[in-house]
Amino acid sequence: MATDKQRAADGVSRRAVLGVAALGGLVAAPLVGRLVRLADAFASPSKAQDARILQLVLQLEYTHVAFYEQALQKASLQGELRTFAQTALGHERAHVAAIKGALGPKAGPRPSFDFGPAVRNPDEFKQAAIKLEDIAIAGYNGQATNLTAGTLAAAAKIVSVEARHASWVRTLAGEVAAPEAVDKPMTAKQVSDALREIGLKA
Amino acid sequence: MTVDGSNGFDDFLESVDRDGAIAETGALAEASLSRRRLLGLALAGAGTALISGAGEAEAASGLPASDVSILNYALVLEYLQASFYTEAERSGALTGKTAEAARVVGSVERAHVRAFRKLLGSKAVKRPLFNFQGTTEQQRPFLKTAVAFEDLAVAAYKGQAPKLKSKAVLAAAVGIHSVEARHAAWMRELFGITPAVHAFDQPASRQHVNRIVASTHFIVQRPETKARGKPKYTG
Amino acid sequence: MIGLLSTGLTARHRQDETAASAALDALPAAPAMALQVGRPEHLGSGRNLSSWTIVRAETVAHTEPAATSPIVATLATATADQTPNALTVLGTRTDAGGQLWVRVGLPVLPNGTVGWVRRRSLGAYQTVSTHLVVDRQRLLATLYRNGAPIFRAPVGVGTDSWPTPAGQFTIRSQLTRYTSPFYGPVAFGTSARSAVLTDWPGGGFVGIHGTNEPQLIPGRISHGCVRMRNSDILQLAALMPVGTPLTIR
Repeated sequence: MATDKQRAADGVSRRAVLGVAALGGLVAAPLVGRLVRLADAFASPSKAQDARILQLVLQLEYTHVAFYEQALQKASLQGELRTFAQTALGHERAHVAAIKGALGPKAGPRPSFDFGPAVRNPDEFKQAAIKLEDIAIAGYNGQATNLTAGTLAAAAKIVSVEARHASWVRTLAGEVAAPEAVDKPMTAKQVSDALREIGLKA
Repeated sequence: MTVDGSNGFDDFLESVDRDGAIAETGALAEASLSRRRLLGLALAGAGTALISGAGEAEAASGLPASDVSILNYALVLEYLQASFYTEAERSGALTGKTAEAARVVGSVERAHVRAFRKLLGSKAVKRPLFNFQGTTEQQRPFLKTAVAFEDLAVAAYKGQAPKLKSKAVLAAAVGIHSVEARHAAWMRELFGITPAVHAFDQPASRQHVNRIVASTHFIVQRPETKARGKPKYTG
Repeated sequence: MIGLLSTGLTARHRQDETAASAALDALPAAPAMALQVGRPEHLGSGRNLSSWTIVRAETVAHTEPAATSPIVATLATATADQTPNALTVLGTRTDAGGQLWVRVGLPVLPNGTVGWVRRRSLGAYQTVSTHLVVDRQRLLATLYRNGAPIFRAPVGVGTDSWPTPAGQFTIRSQLTRYTSPFYGPVAFGTSARSAVLTDWPGGGFVGIHGTNEPQLIPGRISHGCVRMRNSDILQLAALMPVGTPLTIR
């Protein structure tokens, strides 16, 4: 955690971090390359906080896109499993486009990934897809109470689609499509850690 | 057709069935609750829970009155789903994977009902009486109706989430909303249509959901089985 | 030179990661959910449950789930008590044309007649977990709930000339607030009919009711009805919903 002294030494003022309005009125503060003063971190929803959350969500959606792209190339997916991956990929690309549009030029870069065997054979693919979709759902749900109403409404349109993906691929994996009565949230840190574990590289 | 002339649910069902087969719903309206009657019902009736701002003056558990209203609206939808799956399971009409799905999803919807009733306490609306008009007794009509209900529930939660004032309620609502979406995909897959059509799911307003539910005529008045007349039995 | 540059870059990278981590930590965790969703439970066996419904539109009952099969009875929407015509649901079947038929117990002679009715003529299904058993030998009525006895009372039943019929029936209605000491404070209508009093006004239906002659209970005393002492029938009324299946042995 950065201390006040460190931040002061870096000379990044609060105004400089928060003053820039990106397209759509969002104040973008990319996770990588900027400092956030913890004392000024907003506990209640704000456009600045929306932007921070959207950066995380963008990473999530980039992960999905890369995962489905690579699996379609390398995992020998056939039949309905292939249809699933193609459908999901189309949706995830649309999600990326929408979030990038909301963040404007401040949108974070597409990370690089190493998914290992998960994109090289159908069984590993199915298990990884289940994990990835569940991470997305838990991630979105975990941030719902941190978002402004407008961004929450937009995020809600996405998370239910991820839930449909999750159910679909569970069925394809021969598992119970929806075993739980309620989906538990993940914190932003948990999401970030989970993405790294599955193959997101800094 | 329907009492208030709307065709909402039939249109909805037709959009579900890609084969274009006509959905089967009951022909006659049995003391069913049209939109107008829903608007006129007393506070304790389930119908009013579907109408926004139905005069909930006090809060349950310290919750804002508008949140209580939204929770009761969601409770009616959960009652509807729980009763639907329960009746379908008991009918014995379902087989194979559909029967198993009804068992699992029914148990979850019943758990949702219990959770809502626990939170709302005395403010919870009563369980309505449902005439599912055969959709719990034949497999294909069951699946078509289940798809429609689950998709509707997803849209309903989505429409209300941004209006919730309590963060604790919102946290619960999103956790249930995504489960309903898993259910929707599950029922679609069983029905034989794609589990996830669009990249973005749309919200539905409370008015729209109210219209759809009213058009099904599934919610009916309880028959009055008590009377005052003198018995005419053999003695 | 390169080493210095790379050290600088590494330090910058670590700063960025620290900043990123800090930003993530700054996002509050979701609050506890207001709704506590408990563990989902599967339904019980249902063997103690009975389903009933009402006649929504006047209709006919057939011997088979087929419109071409003989008609057994017509079914009105109301009983002679002016209550909805409640029937026990025994099963369903879909015919070759996709039409749904429901097997129901019919309130007609001979007692125990069943028939098939179109689903759309019937109302909402309601479920009860109660079951009333009247034992004509022991002159005893027992109410079961979920298979366990929760109420017992001595009863008066029909004489040999006007016997209470045996069979499976339905409690169809509850009458209160009438003034008739003969029937006591509460009376239940059933789907059982006297086989001998076929000209009785109102159809000769067997009822379960109170009495102004409690000293005769237990006994074989009535024209077919099941009589209970008034305190017992009042207790029964608090425990037994309309739609409860009735077994008379």
